Amino acid sequence: MICPRCDTDKVEVMATSPVGHVWELYLCKTCTYSWRSTETPNKTDPKLYNHKFKIKPETIPSMLVIPPVPPLKA
Amino acid sequence: MSEAGVKDIQVPSGKTGTTKAYHDLRSFLATLEAEGQLVRVKNEVDPEEIGAAGRASANLKNGPAVFFEKVKGYKNPVVTNVHGSWANHALMMGMDKDTPVKEQFLELSRRWDLYPVAPKRVPTAPVNENTVTENINIFDIISLYRINTYDSGCFLSKACIVSADPEDPTSYGKTNLGTYRMQVKGKDKLGIQALPFHDIGLQLSKAEALNQPVPIAICLGCDPITTFMASTPIRYDQSEYDYVGALNNGVPMEITKSATLGLEIPAGCEICIEGYIEPRLRECEGPFGEFPGSYSGARLQAVVRITAISHRNNPVFENLYLGIPWSEIDYLMALNTSVPLYKMLKDTFPEVQAVNAMYTHGIGVIVSTKVRFGGFGKAVAMRLLTTPHGMAYNKIIIVVDEFVDPFNLEQVMWAMTTRVDPDKDVSVIKNCPGMPLDPSSNPPGMHNKLIIDATTPKAPEIVSRETELLTPPAGTEKWEEIISQLVKAARK
Ligand SMILES: [Zn+2]
Repeated sequence: MICPRCDTDKVEVMATSPVGHVWELYLCKTCTYSWRSTETPNKTDPKLYNHKFKIKPETIPSMLVIPPVPPLKA
Repeated sequence: MSEAGVKDIQVPSGKTGTTKAYHDLRSFLATLEAEGQLVRVKNEVDPEEIGAAGRASANLKNGPAVFFEKVKGYKNPVVTNVHGSWANHALMMGMDKDTPVKEQFLELSRRWDLYPVAPKRVPTAPVNENTVTENINIFDIISLYRINTYDSGCFLSKACIVSADPEDPTSYGKTNLGTYRMQVKGKDKLGIQALPFHDIGLQLSKAEALNQPVPIAICLGCDPITTFMASTPIRYDQSEYDYVGALNNGVPMEITKSATLGLEIPAGCEICIEGYIEPRLRECEGPFGEFPGSYSGARLQAVVRITAISHRNNPVFENLYLGIPWSEIDYLMALNTSVPLYKMLKDTFPEVQAVNAMYTHGIGVIVSTKVRFGGFGKAVAMRLLTTPHGMAYNKIIIVVDEFVDPFNLEQVMWAMTTRVDPDKDVSVIKNCPGMPLDPSSNPPGMHNKLIIDATTPKAPEIVSRETELLTPPAGTEKWEEIISQLVKAARK
């Protein structure tokens, strides 16, 4: 399975519905995007996911850090 | 109305000056339902429909809370828009649901001064009826859903988060209660947004310098004043719990120890998630549809590891919709942002009459004040920009005369159109702290500020023309009362 947001394949099942087997929730290990199998294709399909919200995995390490990590006290 | 004109408010019990205090969410939902301010959805809904329902209810005048009894694939119910109208806000304070906003502001301001009212510690609470410490799966208990289309996942948007000061963990005053957004990233893992100027950001920074985790208790479905207080900006060493008692008109709130970490939590909450913010770890989080009405962008933010979940039987998950104002969050953060700013200003400028900071959590503020001499309005605005909350949030400040009701935008526009000379009354203060979630801050967290002084000029400022204000004809107030009673009677 491919992550709709960052197009990588490190995806796992985060949860299955506690009642019945009516949906699965997936989690991308690269960008932490998650989606439910019953959601609309603009949230689940890599081709139909809004390009403005796509993430390139290589840009993740340089994202803004909130809050900044302070220096360690000796 | 001057502050001396604050009236004791007639409350549903028929007593004056007392109020109805709710110790849990359920009793408040029962009142909302009895007052026609809660609707039940009995049919099964898809989880993602709940966000849309929250938006829809907020779009209605005096929209109700919406209670979903059955969410597809989940065990437990969800409620949204609990604080999402002025009627619900008034009922939260034990006031008549038709109470005008300015009257709610003045009553809140009166109760504010009852601080501190110490909480009552209770040994047992319904939230500890069930505790899970192994094979934790948050989805088993909480009916989670995506709120806005391009949110990066399911979010807790209305949790009251209890956290201790790492350097002073037993300090009651420094224990913080706050609302911070949380992204669900696993069965036992969450992301948290801890901005540096928030209390939890300060605690995290202290802990990370020592490479220590921050113990936290995430309380969902609290009584309405506790949730309200968790999103109120107060001083770091003040206790939110002592304020809850004050805002409940002197009725102490009930707190209890969380099941495994022993943090003091609201006893009435539906669900308590315990765990730790992991030190020195950041991970991709967001975007999230935020209160300025735009998505926040993806950032590297802190991570929470869940170690236990306690809950009442059949727990109700309370969550809120947020998007382009106004939505539930705007009601939730309207007067509880206005009152502390008012109190801080009033400390140094007793001339200040009222503060309306309800536009986008105080990014826009309207202050009404008496003016003692030329330039006074601008000085009041500058003071606002140096208050702890105002420093980061307030960006556009409009100052109006004492006789202008800052909650009445028609009057504010009158002041802007008849009192402002753009050449001398509009000022830009460059390079100030700003709110990073405001998409116009540049870089995120820095801002230029705008002050518009819409007060009437006073000497030594050159007063070019004297003006004479109109006053209402005799009997106007009496007729307002008669007509509003007629409207009420007609609605029954
Ligand atoms: Zn991804």
